[in-house]
Amino acid sequence: MRVIIFTWEYPPRIIGQLAEYTNALATQLVKNKIETYVVTYHPYLTGITEEPNGAKTTRIANPVRTHIGVLTWVLTLNEEVERVAANIYYPTKKIDLIDVYDWHFIPAAVTLKNALGIPFLYSVDSLEDHRSHGVDAPFNMAIKSIEWLGFYEAIKITAKSDWMRDEITRIYKVPKDRIRIVSPNTNGWINDVLRTYAEIAGGAKAR
Amino acid sequence: MTSNLKVMMLSWEYPPRVIGGISPHVFFLSKSLAKVGVKVYVVTCDFPGAPTHETIDGVEVYRVDSYKNPSPDFATWVYLMNMNMQKEAAALAAKLPEKIDLFHAHDWLVATAGIGLKHVFRKPLLVTMHSTEVGRREGTHTTTEKMIHETEAWLTYEAWKVICCSNYMVHHVKWAFGLPDDKLVMIPNGVNPYAYEDAEKQDCSSFRSSFASPEEKLVLFVGRLVYEKGAHVLVNAIPRVLEKVNAKFVIVGSGYMKDQLDKIVRSMGLEHKVMFTGFLDEEKLLRLQTCADVSVVPSLFEPFGIVALEAMAAKSAVVVSDTGGLSEIVDHDSTGVKVYPNNTESLAWGITKVLSDEKFRAQISQNGYRKIRAEYDWDKIAKETKRIYESVLGEYSKSFWA
Repeated sequence: MRVIIFTWEYPPRIIGQLAEYTNALATQLVKNKIETYVVTYHPYLTGITEEPNGAKTTRIANPVRTHIGVLTWVLTLNEEVERVAANIYYPTKKIDLIDVYDWHFIPAAVTLKNALGIPFLYSVDSLEDHRSHGVDAPFNMAIKSIEWLGFYEAIKITAKSDWMRDEITRIYKVPKDRIRIVSPNTNGWINDVLRTYAEIAGGAKAR
Repeated sequence: MTSNLKVMMLSWEYPPRVIGGISPHVFFLSKSLAKVGVKVYVVTCDFPGAPTHETIDGVEVYRVDSYKNPSPDFATWVYLMNMNMQKEAAALAAKLPEKIDLFHAHDWLVATAGIGLKHVFRKPLLVTMHSTEVGRREGTHTTTEKMIHETEAWLTYEAWKVICCSNYMVHHVKWAFGLPDDKLVMIPNGVNPYAYEDAEKQDCSSFRSSFASPEEKLVLFVGRLVYEKGAHVLVNAIPRVLEKVNAKFVIVGSGYMKDQLDKIVRSMGLEHKVMFTGFLDEEKLLRLQTCADVSVVPSLFEPFGIVALEAMAAKSAVVVSDTGGLSEIVDHDSTGVKVYPNNTESLAWGITKVLSDEKFRAQISQNGYRKIRAEYDWDKIAKETKRIYESVLGEYSKSFWA
């Protein structure tokens, strides 16, 4: 199975808990014989590397250096994500799924799905409603619209807790059976991840 | 390959959505490309009342959700709109029975959509740069302007070829983004001479009377009332023109300089000689251009100068400032009169010269019309554009993406 992880933070660039989580995930996936690619952002450590954990990692910088906000920064970075994903895809024309962490690279995953039929899993670490405490300024609304797009287009969704699953259902009206709980705090964590991947890659076509 | 070339054209405006010059450009270019056997899929922003898909003279037009949630500001909206456009264009290109051969983007307003589609489909991207941020703003001063400038630079970097509508723009774009010569192509903008046929059949004298009295010559300005279009240079030239000829100055368009221009006119006590019409509907505008004695384009910055071409198509004599694309459109004393940019004395001299010599006026307007028929003809432009498409696809076929 060939999987790409999209995450906007990854060691050595650590912003929150997502960097360590995706690093642990990539390490475990490689151990379980999954061909694992990571696409992430770094302002200057750009290019393709084979990390000690065995995941093929590509770090991209933003082609546009000056920005008026997080949204324009994210929306220009997504084209670089697409470029790298296409570079992984085209030699063999086979990517089983993309695992997307939070909203930042949802636009790229959505385009790749529509253009090339690659299904994606939207793995939710946090939601804009919680981060912004319900503020409904246009900036927050725009981020929420990207989260919504992710829920709408994803083949499946993972949440780290029952509470988060209920929040996704409450805020975005996503049917509960589309959301899988994958909690890093349980012993069976990596097996839950692998089972979710197998369900998507094992026959299910992009929605 | 040459017989059924398929192009996906991205534009943020297409009729009936008309904001600036890109909309008519893409309309006529795609239509004329269809005539020479290119299959064009236009992907553009939606518009109230316009269908999401229609076929116009062989061109497939798709109007996509232009992102209607609230946006923090215009520039952020552009990138959000591009996210939607890219998604819908990707879905469309994937389900077409035949593959798209190349993507053609118009200006930074569709930059990220074009760049993304290029990479996911691995097809060449072409861009037409109609204008630049550094040109519009005389430099990049704010964070927004810098961001747009860098987005334009990125777009031209990702493009296989960069098309500009005048030699002036080729030099400007080369300088602004540091591009190599062989990446740049000059294909002029076109004008539709048939647009004026109806207007020409109708009588001018009665129509004209609602703008000027019979003994007044009619001097016409058409353009946004913004600094770079130079309406203030024209207004300041009025007293000098009036020393020699009796004329009425009709100023069509709106913009942030309207009040300021109005104030200058009043301070000179010339309210009776100047008429601000605001934005005019197309029929009235075409008739006005046909009936004007002289059309003035006093721009300070002008990448191309479509309004001068339109005036020439309407067989009106033109006086233009010798700058940018206008310098190339008009040959001095032959197809029009060129004056020094941002110079009221020079502009007044040019207008006076045309208005006080009827033989000269008739001659330059005839020559001007002949020139636009020969050089700014959409069918000719479509053929040149097709040739560029074919040469790009020839190079592409030898690349590892093919």
